[in-house]
Amino acid sequence: MSDKTPVTVLTGYLGAGKTTLLNRILTEDHGKRYAVIVNEFGEIGIDNDLVVGADEDVFEMNNGCVCCTVRGDLIRVVSGLMKRQRPGKPAFDAIIVETTGLADPGPVAQTFFVDEDVKAKTTLDSVTALVDAKHVMARLDDSKEAREQVAFADRIILNKTDLATPDELDAVEARLRGLNPLAPIVRAERSNVPLDQVLGQHGFDLDRILEVRPDWVNPPHGAEGHVHDEHCGHDHDHDHGHHHHDHDHGHHDHGPRGHAHQDDIKGVSLSLDRPLDGGKFTAWLDRLLAEKGQDILRAKGIIDVAGEDRRLVFQAVHMILEGDLQRPWGDKERRWSRAVFIGRDLDEAALKAGFEACAA
Amino acid sequence: MKTFTFDAQVTAALFDATGAVFALGDGAVVFESGERAEAHDGAVLCACVHPSGDGIITGGDDGKVVWSRRGESVVLATAKGQWIDAIDAAPETGLVAFAFGRTLSVIDPADTHFRRDFSHERTVSGVAFDPKGRRIAASTYGGAALWFARIAQQQPTMLKWAGSHTGVAWSPDGAFVVTTMQDNQLHGWRMKDQRNMRMGGYPGKIRNLAFAANGRLLVTPGAQGVVLWPFEGSQGPMGREATEIGYDEASLVNLVAARPSHGRVAAGLNDGRVWVADPAGQGLDRVRADKGAPIVALTFDADARRLAWADEDGQAGIADL
Repeated sequence: MSDKTPVTVLTGYLGAGKTTLLNRILTEDHGKRYAVIVNEFGEIGIDNDLVVGADEDVFEMNNGCVCCTVRGDLIRVVSGLMKRQRPGKPAFDAIIVETTGLADPGPVAQTFFVDEDVKAKTTLDSVTALVDAKHVMARLDDSKEAREQVAFADRIILNKTDLATPDELDAVEARLRGLNPLAPIVRAERSNVPLDQVLGQHGFDLDRILEVRPDWVNPPHGAEGHVHDEHCGHDHDHDHGHHHHDHDHGHHDHGPRGHAHQDDIKGVSLSLDRPLDGGKFTAWLDRLLAEKGQDILRAKGIIDVAGEDRRLVFQAVHMILEGDLQRPWGDKERRWSRAVFIGRDLDEAALKAGFEACAA
Repeated sequence: MKTFTFDAQVTAALFDATGAVFALGDGAVVFESGERAEAHDGAVLCACVHPSGDGIITGGDDGKVVWSRRGESVVLATAKGQWIDAIDAAPETGLVAFAFGRTLSVIDPADTHFRRDFSHERTVSGVAFDPKGRRIAASTYGGAALWFARIAQQQPTMLKWAGSHTGVAWSPDGAFVVTTMQDNQLHGWRMKDQRNMRMGGYPGKIRNLAFAANGRLLVTPGAQGVVLWPFEGSQGPMGREATEIGYDEASLVNLVAARPSHGRVAAGLNDGRVWVADPAGQGLDRVRADKGAPIVALTFDADARRLAWADEDGQAGIADL
């Protein structure tokens, strides 16, 4: 596993700050060697690094998976980059894929699960979405791609925060969390986010699914309904009782300012304090992804399976599902099942009913 | 058997008129006799034998097409910094065709002023001259385009089939064009009526293909054994079933080698083993019995008397059969 080259995907619409971030990655004195795949034609060597142009050549696989679109150019470029690899020595510390502003991140991610050679040589590390604090609300209103980029991400960089007021930032964060309850939001100005917040995130690594937080559908700090947790960045008592709060509240309707806007994409959080029947759950998840996989951008979960001492973890990108039994539950750990589905037009009540019907 | 250890991946193995030649991921071209040419600043992505039979022509990720002979390398063409993804040469006409991005270019090493550039809607993944060296098939998304090599202004003949085609070859009689596809199948067209042929059922990637036995057999990797499709008569494999030889459920065949002039077939496996099967012989002749890194290059000389192979860790060999 460790000899695979990690791949980080950067998404974000025009002006969000991708180029600034890429320039920082390429010019900062980090002693690493990166290959950057960009949309522009041409190839430029910057010191140790390599910048390669790609074509956004999206195509459908004839494999019966209706949403299985992949990026042919990435298969070609990644396979080509791997030819530089010497025996036992990776050619690059990481590969960074920049997508165009209008790109759908799904095909980019799926490429790393579908192609045999790409899968053997590389591992998709994470998808980071950059959004511009000043203009993101308008983009989310008028662009399906902008909403999907946010919903798909493992990490969201809320950039250019110096250009927005604290109230605007809170409203933006609330909406971003509604679209994607899984991804941490990092605030930045001029893309000044530490590189270790972008690279090496293990966003698709089952072993690293340590926590899935259904209660992340959480209004921003200071707003009504906010639940204090370790993400607030202030000290508080961990036994304040959010273990006891009612998970049925599940999904807030877009925060305290009550803007009527309802995004077509949202995160649905599910949880259950009773163990699930392993067979029933797997059958439900398989059917769900087969039927709704086109609309489900990402899903992650940690499941307490009846009669099993280990945690069942899963993650999915559209119809591509990976699941495994992970480490054992700790003695003092709370055993419960939780899952988050992020997608278009999700029927929250049906998801909840289906999930709970898997109880052992 | 001669063996070699390279501190780079081998990206192609070929036999020119004199002996075996290896092209490497560090841009070098190494001849069996020991000469080494630093052909590219980057990796060699594709290679073919020079139409004259003297040395090889490589395409690199430095955007150059380079002819390397023992003791000398010259740049034949460039592609504005774009990767050269595929290359082929035609001894019959002396022409060389290569692809970068969506462009197919044709050059004549004997005439430095001759160059044709043909553009496509999607990226070109493979190029192949027909047996007479007059037409070129270029595989791309959605099928293959057929071009006349020397004509400047033309519309290509499109052989259409939905999906991503990753490589292309002509049958030795020029009657069929066959492509490998991203979703582990082959597609073929009969030239006289463009009738489609689907050849599927592969568990793995089909990385190359070759014709053996006067073109009567199409030989492919992508399965636990070497897959042989009958190409006899005008029907080709239509309505007929493939056979598989050397089946081993523990491994997949990564690459095959065969020559139209001979019935001999070679397989390079994903567990590093290499074997040869003779049509008259029984069983498999193990050229490399030990397991190792996946085989990434495999080729016969023109008469299928010698076999060159290389694995992903830079181990390579040449066997006299």
